[in-house]
Amino acid sequence: MSKHALRIAFVVASVVLMAGVGFVLKAQLIPKSFGLYGPYRADAIDEEAQRVLKHGTNASCFGCHQYEATIHLKGNHKTISCEFCHGTYSDHIKNGKKIANLPVKKGTEITTLCLRCHNTEIKARSTMVIKTVGIQDHLKKQNVKLTHTCNQCHHVHAPLKYINEAKKITGLMEVKP
Amino acid sequence: MNPTLYKASTELSHGASMLISNYVFPNDLHVHWSMMIVLYPYITGLVDGAFIIAALYYLFDVKSLKPIARFSLLFAFAFLCCATLPLLLHLGRPERNFNMLLTPSPSSAMAGFGYIYAVSMGVLSFIVLFVYRPDLVERGKKAKGFMKLLYRALTFDSNDLSEKALALDGKIIRFLVGLGIPVAAVLHGYVGFIFGGVKANPTWSTPLMPVIFLFSACVSGISAIIIAYIIIRKIGGHSVDSDCIRTCIKTLTGFFILAFSFEMLEVFSHSYLKTGYHHMVEGLLNGPLASSFWLWQVKICSVIPLILLGCMAFIPLKDAIYTAISGLVSAILLLQVFIMRWNVVIGGQLMSKSARGYTEFHPEWFDKEGIAAVIIIMLIPFIILFVLGKIFPFWAEERKSGIQ
Repeated sequence: MSKHALRIAFVVASVVLMAGVGFVLKAQLIPKSFGLYGPYRADAIDEEAQRVLKHGTNASCFGCHQYEATIHLKGNHKTISCEFCHGTYSDHIKNGKKIANLPVKKGTEITTLCLRCHNTEIKARSTMVIKTVGIQDHLKKQNVKLTHTCNQCHHVHAPLKYINEAKKITGLMEVKP
Repeated sequence: MNPTLYKASTELSHGASMLISNYVFPNDLHVHWSMMIVLYPYITGLVDGAFIIAALYYLFDVKSLKPIARFSLLFAFAFLCCATLPLLLHLGRPERNFNMLLTPSPSSAMAGFGYIYAVSMGVLSFIVLFVYRPDLVERGKKAKGFMKLLYRALTFDSNDLSEKALALDGKIIRFLVGLGIPVAAVLHGYVGFIFGGVKANPTWSTPLMPVIFLFSACVSGISAIIIAYIIIRKIGGHSVDSDCIRTCIKTLTGFFILAFSFEMLEVFSHSYLKTGYHHMVEGLLNGPLASSFWLWQVKICSVIPLILLGCMAFIPLKDAIYTAISGLVSAILLLQVFIMRWNVVIGGQLMSKSARGYTEFHPEWFDKEGIAAVIIIMLIPFIILFVLGKIFPFWAEERKSGIQ
């Protein structure tokens, strides 16, 4: 075998060796529990199960807040999660006991919160599903001060509660343009 | 179709106006696979086409391609170096691609590209090194210091240029190029397959997709080689080998006829089969893609080159005119393939899974996947090519002996 052929044999051997090292490295780098149940790390199941629960359900809130529940479940917001506006369950309750108060939104904070969904600029859903408004335009049309916050007319849990009650008392209906 | 189609012009939060029609699912509003995923098949396509030219010379002995055979290999190599860049830039966490490669799953084809890419990179690197060995040996003899060491490494520390050694190199090159053809076909066929395998998208989900991608890859790669050859030779004040250009154009014509026929066959099968989502595909091609597909991809960038290629085949032209038209046709075809990739990748995502509405795509200049990023990524292979040109001479006649 000539010197040149020998060099090429050496190159081929190096490629084979590198491929072999690659396979060994690959085998070493794969986590031990991978593939036990399927193409994923089996240990991940236990790790996820150990994760501390952060969120509750509306039922867990209504267990204590029964007055709010009666209003919330009758209003247009009945499908909205309590935590969406009030914050995380685990910040309020731990092992069944209250550990802190959740922050209460006030004044313009409430308007900001409402506009997360009800702003005309946001087209996440059809207006048939979520009524959206341009807030300044809406306040002008309702003949109220531009500094009005949403909860001065709308009950935050049941947005049309006060409006429907007012209609019932006065017998007035909205004038459709 | 779409009898009650209404259009709602909405104003996005960042101010760009957006036109959506009918009902689009919220998660379909934004085009997730954007320009980086357009570049990905485009770059791998350029690699494949360039490799085909080299293969025609080194394996099938098409002698007239000799002037550009070596350059094609370097061109393919420079672009192959950047083939994964668009994909990595598209990923939110690029480093996690190694996790996927460590544990490939038979039910997900994504890891496949890593392996196919590694094999093609290995094969192409060795072809380049064996083809250039005589040049590198000669250069190594004159070099000093680090460069001498580099040339020794690149020549496998063998400065043997005897006839026997070169004959062995020749056999190895033929073997590697023979191996490289199926590897290149699988590399780009895979890119077509990854789109064709998306069952949820009716414009992509067709077994024709790998075939269309392969042929259009050959078209773009050969066109790129023709343009690069003409431009680099003209800038350097060298002559252009007209025999070589004529062979390239004939090959290009063959591949383009096949590519264009299959592109049209796909539209024909969609409209003839009229499958469940046919109304969406038809609406897409005649609606949001009416301009980019029918006008640009088909009429301007396919019919015009076909006429020009036909003229070049049947009318005897002087070499200078033939070369000039070759450059023009190649430029149009490079654009055609880019638009085709655009129409497949981005066009395919403009229709919602609701099968009732279409969205629009607005490219941004300065974005992770914006126009500036596209320009930068497309410049990198040329920088690599420039650097490679310092070590590997582009043209065959610049050297005197060895394997040609």
